[in-house]
Amino acid sequence: MKKVITGNQAVAYGVILSRVDVISAYPITPQTTIVEELSELTASGRLKTVFLKVESEHSAMAALIGASTGGVRCFTATSSHGLAYMHEMLHWASGARLPIVLVNVNRAIAPPWNIWSDQSDSLSQRDTGWVQLYCEHNQEVLDTVVQAYRVAESVKLPVMVVLDAYVLSHTSEAVEIPTMEQVDAFLPPYCPEYPIDTQEPAAFSTIATPDHFLEFRYKIQQAMEQVPGVAKKVDDDFRSRFGRGYSAIERYGKGEAEILLMTSGTVTGTSRIVVEKLIEKGYDVAGIKIKRFRPFPIEEIYKEMKGAKKLAIIDRNLSAGVGGIFAQELRASLYSREERPQIFGFVSGLGGRDITPELIEEAVRYTVDHPRPEEEILWLGLKR
Amino acid sequence: MTKQFDFKGASQMPMISVSFGHMDWNKTGAWRAQRPFYEDKTPPCSAACPVGNDIVAFIQKITEEDFEGAWNLIKQENPFPGVCGRVCFHPCESKCNRGDYDEPIAIHGLERFVSDFAASLSLKIRGTPGVGRGKIAVIGSGPAGMSCAYHLAKLHYNVTVFESFSSAGGMLRTGIPSYRLPKGVLDREISNIEGLGVEIRTGIPFGEDLDLDGLKNYQATFIATGAHQCRGLHIPGEKGRSVFSGLDLLKKINLSKKINLGDKVAVIGGGNTAIDVARSVIRLGKKATILYRRSKEEMPAFREEIAEAIEEGVMIRYLVNPIHIQQKDGLRRLDCLRMELGDKDESGRRRPVPIPNSNFFMEADSVIIAAGEEAEVSFLPKGMENRQGIVLTQRDGGTSIKGIFAGGDLTSSQRTVAHAIGSGKKAALAIDCYLSGRDSEEAIRQILIGEGPSLSIFRYVHPEERRMNPHVVTFNELNTDYFEPSERCRESKGAVKKRIKGFGEVTSGYAGSSALEEAERCFSCGTCNRCENCYVFCPDASIIKAEGVFSRQVDYDFCKGCGICFSECPRGAISLEEETR
Repeated sequence: MKKVITGNQAVAYGVILSRVDVISAYPITPQTTIVEELSELTASGRLKTVFLKVESEHSAMAALIGASTGGVRCFTATSSHGLAYMHEMLHWASGARLPIVLVNVNRAIAPPWNIWSDQSDSLSQRDTGWVQLYCEHNQEVLDTVVQAYRVAESVKLPVMVVLDAYVLSHTSEAVEIPTMEQVDAFLPPYCPEYPIDTQEPAAFSTIATPDHFLEFRYKIQQAMEQVPGVAKKVDDDFRSRFGRGYSAIERYGKGEAEILLMTSGTVTGTSRIVVEKLIEKGYDVAGIKIKRFRPFPIEEIYKEMKGAKKLAIIDRNLSAGVGGIFAQELRASLYSREERPQIFGFVSGLGGRDITPELIEEAVRYTVDHPRPEEEILWLGLKR
Repeated sequence: MTKQFDFKGASQMPMISVSFGHMDWNKTGAWRAQRPFYEDKTPPCSAACPVGNDIVAFIQKITEEDFEGAWNLIKQENPFPGVCGRVCFHPCESKCNRGDYDEPIAIHGLERFVSDFAASLSLKIRGTPGVGRGKIAVIGSGPAGMSCAYHLAKLHYNVTVFESFSSAGGMLRTGIPSYRLPKGVLDREISNIEGLGVEIRTGIPFGEDLDLDGLKNYQATFIATGAHQCRGLHIPGEKGRSVFSGLDLLKKINLSKKINLGDKVAVIGGGNTAIDVARSVIRLGKKATILYRRSKEEMPAFREEIAEAIEEGVMIRYLVNPIHIQQKDGLRRLDCLRMELGDKDESGRRRPVPIPNSNFFMEADSVIIAAGEEAEVSFLPKGMENRQGIVLTQRDGGTSIKGIFAGGDLTSSQRTVAHAIGSGKKAALAIDCYLSGRDSEEAIRQILIGEGPSLSIFRYVHPEERRMNPHVVTFNELNTDYFEPSERCRESKGAVKKRIKGFGEVTSGYAGSSALEEAERCFSCGTCNRCENCYVFCPDASIIKAEGVFSRQVDYDFCKGCGICFSECPRGAISLEEETR
């Protein structure tokens, strides 16, 4: 059944279909309508979950850490400052290997106050040990939530599903809603590795001395390394059941091209049109959509990079002092490779400014016109 | 410390840090490494009390304005709070930790207040009179004998007390002037003991009208005949006319007998008896001069009583030693030597040494010798060993004759009312052990207050209740941040002019408000008094308010063992121990 729904409603559908047991969240624009939808459904009795009201995002995640340790499927959603406030607990969730799924609606971090789309909030959490998946459209949002549980519960790591403020969260699109039976067949119930037995209570997250701490972190890295394989299998299964799917990266436009335009989130939708137009005009260009940020899909990117001379990457985020974070990840992970194309790191659209087709075209033209970038950070649309 | 694991590598390790075994014993996992717990410890006052009073507990009852509750607690250990509140030398106060802060608690005043309160309501000690657990004889109705009789009666024995004198009380009746201990107070406390079914037979001197053969029907006997003999000076003339012993004089005064002392009375000695005699003499309208061979520093009498005696007009001449009492025209002429202090003797005091050729004369109408007391042992049964007039007993009061126990002044050189009451109590439980075939040594060890020798008979009867760590709380273990300096409440004393006119009580007890104020000064060393500091400070909200053995409990599901409760407890009522497993 298809429905015209917003990105936030798509999140709520994903949660409902995943048979989440415990939801705990604190409202923040632009995430609010997700939890409004879920709390109303829970209150009316139509959704059989426990909805925990908390006084902060930190508590929301803490509550889910408890619930997830207890062996049930958990969900929360937040944005911007709310996610920053959760920071300590995000580390805890991954360190305790709890497959919690969190939806973050990308929003800039103040000051100055700004409630519009910007990836700085989720990318500030890149070192917390969470898998991060960025979505392009509302269908992908719903499907990614469902897939996220299966990936998370397989590798025992928490997963953050990310969507752009307003462009997705509050914009309606036609979305195919799977049936409960279909999702049930795809997503088995959560089965914790260390279930709580009240008769034989155990201590969780106990102290680990320097003799063992490093090894626990190594195990988290091992789990991260499993993600590409697991996620591919999960997506393959999803594709076979639902006829659509989402790989870590997706190539569009020319099969072989001198210039690759790399984007994440909703900018990809715009880029698809720009790339198509530029190819018509004779440009040697293809697009790469990056869905998965953590673990960074360097193997997948490297495969698609063959023959490319220049990589243009548009970051809707800024790590002040360095530049766009996707660009940094790309530079860092390519350094040890044989083929190292020039990387053009564009920063644009911070705080919700539209990244228009014109700006994207400007980025591609710049890349074509320059053998190498004149600056580490190439500001796109900046009013100097 | 929690057990350490040593894995060879990550492949052997679990996915997360999780305990292998169950953690019921410490639900915080490795978080809490030390565990706080409420544990009452011994206050220094109780440890110093020869009677074994539960002082902190009864003072707490006073602060709760439950004066009857306070009385109930005191009489568990002591049938003589009215007596002790007035005449005990209160070693409890010398050891009071508050003494290191400002001034010790006036424990004696509070004890007196409680007993006066009970008297004002005519409260009686309730108990089941002897229900035939056996017949016990007590010889002597002084504080030792009556304390023994009291506790035996409470242990359901039939007790008969034999007293040589015409009324009960022993030294309390004959040796202590009524301006210090009114007869009504003593009568009331003795009648309370009789109320428990104790029979007192007066006018029966042991050794004369009664001997061990006459006590065959009794399963055990406690002898506490006291020390009523005045120690002589061994100087010429001390047996002469108008030369009296201090104890005899006090006895006569206490019985309101007529005595002819003349106008000028010399009292020889420096102990409490000498002071009692001199002050009594003043009250009879005579002049009293105390002659003491050492200096004021060495005087064994209590400071406060010396001061009161001087207030009342008693003269004290120090470093003077009479060597001859001569009779001359109805006057006594004392040939005296002046003394100086030499090296320390075995008592730790500096020895008085005569100054050669310092003789002088002093005149007096009568001379009272109060140079110490001795026990009369000649009438005691054969086979009862004694050394220098002190009957030898085991720790439990047992003598060399089976079934015969002894206590009080007869068995000790520490001749105080409190020691006598304590020895009677100890003998009562020793007799109970003896008759029920229990090991009294072990029983005593179990109920010592602190390191002893004081003991709690309450804990003997109720071994599981009001348990207390024997550790005696020191001043340094208290958190005095929570106490404000405050002055000790003084008891009021009658005007000197008025009090030397008769034998009315000098000191008035506390009014309720003063008692409350004084009781609230108590640090309550080692005993939780529900001040709630722990509850207020606990960062984990892990102090549970609950009724039970402790007034507070720790919620070990959440306590992280930070120890803040331990350090913020003003009185050392919380202990910390390492979590071990």
